[in-house]
Amino acid sequence: MAAIETVGLTKQYGDLTAVDDLDLTIEEGEVFGFLGPNGAGKSTTINMLLDFTRPSAGSATVLGYDAQDEADAISPRVGVLPEGFDIYPRLTGRRHIEFAIETKDAADDPDAVLERVGLSADDAARPAGDYSKGMRQRLATGMALVGDPDLLIMDEPSSGLDPHGIREMQELVRSEAETGTTVFFSSHILEHVEAVCDRIGVLNEGELVAVDTIEGLRESIGGGGTMELTLADSADAFRDAVGAVDGIADVTVSGRTLECSIADPAAKAGAVIALDDAGTTVRDVRIEDVSLESLFTTLTNGGDDPGGRSTDETESPAAATPEVAE
Amino acid sequence: MTQHITTVARKEFEDAGRSKLLWALIALLVGLVTIGYVAIWYTADDVTAAEVLGFIALPLQTIIPIAALIVGYMAVVGERRSGSIKLLLGLPPNRTDIVFGKLLGRMAVVATAVFLAFVVALVLGAVLFGSVPFVDWLAFGAISILFGVSFAGLAVGVSAGVSTRGKSMAIVVGLYMLVLALWELVTAGPYYLVYGEGPPVEAEAWYLFVDQFNPITTYTTLVGNVVEGEVFPFMFQYGLEDFEAAGMTPAERYAGDAPFYLQDWFGLVVLLCWLVVPVAIGYYRFQKTDL
Repeated sequence: MAAIETVGLTKQYGDLTAVDDLDLTIEEGEVFGFLGPNGAGKSTTINMLLDFTRPSAGSATVLGYDAQDEADAISPRVGVLPEGFDIYPRLTGRRHIEFAIETKDAADDPDAVLERVGLSADDAARPAGDYSKGMRQRLATGMALVGDPDLLIMDEPSSGLDPHGIREMQELVRSEAETGTTVFFSSHILEHVEAVCDRIGVLNEGELVAVDTIEGLRESIGGGGTMELTLADSADAFRDAVGAVDGIADVTVSGRTLECSIADPAAKAGAVIALDDAGTTVRDVRIEDVSLESLFTTLTNGGDDPGGRSTDETESPAAATPEVAE
Repeated sequence: MTQHITTVARKEFEDAGRSKLLWALIALLVGLVTIGYVAIWYTADDVTAAEVLGFIALPLQTIIPIAALIVGYMAVVGERRSGSIKLLLGLPPNRTDIVFGKLLGRMAVVATAVFLAFVVALVLGAVLFGSVPFVDWLAFGAISILFGVSFAGLAVGVSAGVSTRGKSMAIVVGLYMLVLALWELVTAGPYYLVYGEGPPVEAEAWYLFVDQFNPITTYTTLVGNVVEGEVFPFMFQYGLEDFEAAGMTPAERYAGDAPFYLQDWFGLVVLLCWLVVPVAIGYYRFQKTDL
């Protein structure tokens, strides 16, 4: 059974299509990153999964239940960290966690939950209205974790957190995943997704432009990057030796450096061995992966635009516009 | 499924208990009652505690609705605008739990505030006027609590049915103005236009039926039945209707034996309507809306 499945999920606000015919399947136990620029439709999608917003067309199931008709069966088994939420300013942090425990009919110890999300006993005794944005985020994360949910849905979980807090949050996601929890995690910041996710889906202007593992995305967008080798001798004589290695697509020479385009990541070691066999010394190796940042930019700015949609979010078209997935 | 209504209601009540606004409203109600009692004690001779009790219906008919509307008008829409409703809906409670949990919580808040004011009234009656009109007190208190929770329900219903705080406030203030200041214009006004004269004291049954749906006159009619002395509704008058009619109940204005829907107890139905109808409309709209 899929943890989340959407079929033709669409949301229109007047003329604006916020989410356009989304087909997405997230398997149980995976950590799925839902990536896209602000305004791409990530939150609208999540809001439809949680029945905050009703789809214009299509349907979604969460843990096998219809997101609209069977929402009451879903909510006790799902932990939600919504986007744009607020806490109850007059109630203490501890009372928030206790309230989550009461509604989920769970047996959690409030203090243990608070400690897990990094809120001290002193913090917990204070009204949550005094909390910083990051502390509110931690508190809501704690509420989501109550009752050991089968599925965690986190909308922009890193917002308001400092780098240390973001690392803690990523560790928390990993440890939840290790116990078998499915995590669905949205972000507009690539590195946050990259650090924890098994697969990512890229959403742009309401459409899913790619779904793959990070490695898969890298490959489909142009191999494994480039490798620059600096030799002790003039590089020209060794061009053929490197070019003969399987998985090296192209070699350019300038002075003592060879710049190789890598099609297969395993070719990098092969190139170094081949050069060593040919009798030269490799002084330095620099490897540049296709940066996910550029990949992301390519995916979200490029691609065809079927028109009729708002182009508010569209920036200047990127140079490269490969078709990755539809 | 509605299993989370009481959990939400308890959270609401606890949250409201930490609100300065609530304590200000309780202080207002209690203060008003205290001032009324002390003033009468100071100025009047030979007054019984039962008579003084009836006298405080005069300020309460204006203050209780205001307090209840203030307690309720932000109940649902406030959470919607701040975003805390997402935190709440992300937990097991659903929209039904939210509307009815908030309704119960806010009604409990208003009931508590009115109850405290009445406790003070009972104590002051005993201390200053030397008697405890318990039966009057109980009935008057119960009617006042119903009056208060009706307005709280009205406000919670409005807060569930709109998308912004401003709309909620506009509708709630508008409705209060309607019942306090504009009622005669919207009931006797059309009558005047149709018949060329204002409604007489002994008006047609349909007119008396419509006119009695004002919750404030309903309250004074009901209270008039359980306390000593008469309780006049404090409302704006425009002279469309006979001034004599203003202080009379629908049953008194009806020629002959009043049908059931014009008798004084029917006021309980009227107050329940002011509670149920707005909640039903607000609930229906809230169920359908995108948050």
